Amino acid sequence: MNKEIIKFTDASIGYGKTAILSGINLSIIENDFIGIVGPNGAGKTTLLKTLLGNIKLISGKISRDSLRFGYVPQRDTVQPLLPYTVFDVVMMGRYSFSGPFKRINAEDKKIVEESLSYIGMNDLKDKNYNSLSGGQRQRTLIARALAVEPSVLILDEPTNGMDTPSHYSLLDLISRLHDEKNLTIFLVSHLLTDVANIVKKVILLDQNYFQFGPIEEILSEENLKKTYSADFHVSQVDGEYIITPKHMKKL
Amino acid sequence: METLHQLIELFPYAIAGSILAGIICSFLGIFIVSQRVVFLGAVLTQVAIAGVAFSFLHVIHIETFIASLLGITIKEDYLLHNFEPAFYSLLFALSTVIVFSQTHRQKILTQDGILGIIFVVAIAVRIMFIQKSPIADVSEVESILKGDILFISQTEFFTLAAILVFTLSIFALFQKQLKFVTFDAESASAHGINSKMWLLIFYLVVGTGISLTTRFVGDVFAFAYLIIPASIGILVSKKVKNVFLISVLVGAIVPPISIYIAFKFDFSSGPTAVVTAFVLFLVVYLVKKLKG
Repeated sequence: MNKEIIKFTDASIGYGKTAILSGINLSIIENDFIGIVGPNGAGKTTLLKTLLGNIKLISGKISRDSLRFGYVPQRDTVQPLLPYTVFDVVMMGRYSFSGPFKRINAEDKKIVEESLSYIGMNDLKDKNYNSLSGGQRQRTLIARALAVEPSVLILDEPTNGMDTPSHYSLLDLISRLHDEKNLTIFLVSHLLTDVANIVKKVILLDQNYFQFGPIEEILSEENLKKTYSADFHVSQVDGEYIITPKHMKKL
Repeated sequence: METLHQLIELFPYAIAGSILAGIICSFLGIFIVSQRVVFLGAVLTQVAIAGVAFSFLHVIHIETFIASLLGITIKEDYLLHNFEPAFYSLLFALSTVIVFSQTHRQKILTQDGILGIIFVVAIAVRIMFIQKSPIADVSEVESILKGDILFISQTEFFTLAAILVFTLSIFALFQKQLKFVTFDAESASAHGINSKMWLLIFYLVVGTGISLTTRFVGDVFAFAYLIIPASIGILVSKKVKNVFLISVLVGAIVPPISIYIAFKFDFSSGPTAVVTAFVLFLVVYLVKKLKG
C-alpha cells in the first residue's frame, strides 16, 4: 500500500481571513494522479498555493512529508523580454538548491541535461525560450520542474491554448511522467474529458463545495451540475470518458 | 581636440561621473524593462526629486526629532549637514519600493494604478515643498532638484562609484535568486525560493540606485538611461549576457560623448545625453527593422 504523503484535516483555505473553501479533508498517497477541476474563481489556484505552502491555512491542519514540489505554471504567465535560452530556464529549477555563495556545478548541469532529454528538448537547449512554440514552452517549463527532482508535480492548466497534436502529446508526456518516474501529480484543467481520461482521482470544487475521490465516483452528472450549475452528459465510449455540456449534441 | 582637453580639465568628475551614472542606470534598467515595470522607473525618479525638495523644507526638523528620540544631544547644524538631500531622496524612494513590492498580492488596484497615484502625488508634493522652501526662489530650487551631469562633484563621483559597487555586488552575489524571481516569481516561490523577500531586496537595490543617481544627474537623464540602453540591448542581443554587455556599454559611452556635444554646441548636458541616446536607439531600431 502506498504511503500517505499529504493530509488536509478540516482545512479552510483562502486569502487573509476570507475563506474560499472550508471543511477540506483530503488524503493524498504516493504516486496519486489527481485532477483538480472547477469553474473560474472556484479556488483551484488557492488550493495549489496552499498545497505548496505559499498561502497559510485559515484554519485546520495540513501535514506534508518532506516533499519536493515541481511546479509548472500557466505558460502565458512566463513571457520574458530577456532572451533566456531553454537551458537557462530549466537551470532555474536548480537555483533553490544553491544558496547565494554556491555556484552551479556539474551535477546541476547533468540534471538539467537529463530533464531536457527526458522531455525530448535536448536539441533545442540553446534556442531562445521566446522563439519556441506554445507546446515547446510548456515542455521547457515541465523540464524545469523535473530539474527540481520532485516527488510531487503540479501542473496548472498545461494544455491551455494548444493545438490538438501538441495538446495530446503533452497529455501523453504527463502520463508517462506519472508512470515512469512514479510522481504524484496534480493536474489543474478546465477540460473535463481530458482529466477524466488521464487521472486516477479528482478534486471537484467550487466555492464552498468540495468533492474528492476516484474518477468513477466523483465525475457524475449530479456532481458536475452542483459544481458548474449546468447540465453535463457523462458517457463512456471504448472505455474512454466523454463529458459534454447537455446543450451540445450527445455523442 | 582643444574642446576635449578643456572639457577634461574643467569637468573631470562630470565625465567620469556620467559614465558611472550611465552604467548604474543602464544596468538597473535591464531589470526594470524586462520586468515590464518601466513606469516604476519614472515614479522613482519623481519620488527621489520630491525627497530632495523635502530637504529644502526646513519647516520640519526631522533631524532634531530623531536626535531627541535617540536621546542624543548634538548641535542641530551638525545633523542638518549630514542629512543632506540625497538622504531624503533615498528615504522617499525606499519607502515607495517597499509599498510597491507589497502590491502584487492585492487585487483591488492594478500596480500601474498605484504607481500612477504615487507619480502624481510625488510631483504635487514637490511643487508644494518648493513653494514653502525658505532658501531660494522657485526656479533656483527647481534647477537644484533637477541635477546636472556637468556639475558632478568629487564627492558625488565617489558616491556614484559606491552605488555601482553596491549594486553590482548584490546582483553578483544573489544572481540566481534575483534572476529566478524577476523571471517567474510564482514558480520561484513554488520551488522554495522566498520570492517576497528577494523581490523586496531587488526593489530596494533598484530604489537606492535610481534615487541617488537621480539626485546627482537629474530625473530626465536617470529615467532615459534606465530605459534606452536596456531597450537597445534587448533589440540587438540574442543572449542575456550580451544584453547586459551592450546596455552597459551604451550607458557608459554615450553620456561622455553627449557632454562633449553639449559643451561644443552650448546645450544643456542632461537633455543632450537623452537625445543622443535616443538617436542611437532610433538608428538601431531602424537597422533592425530594415534587416527584418
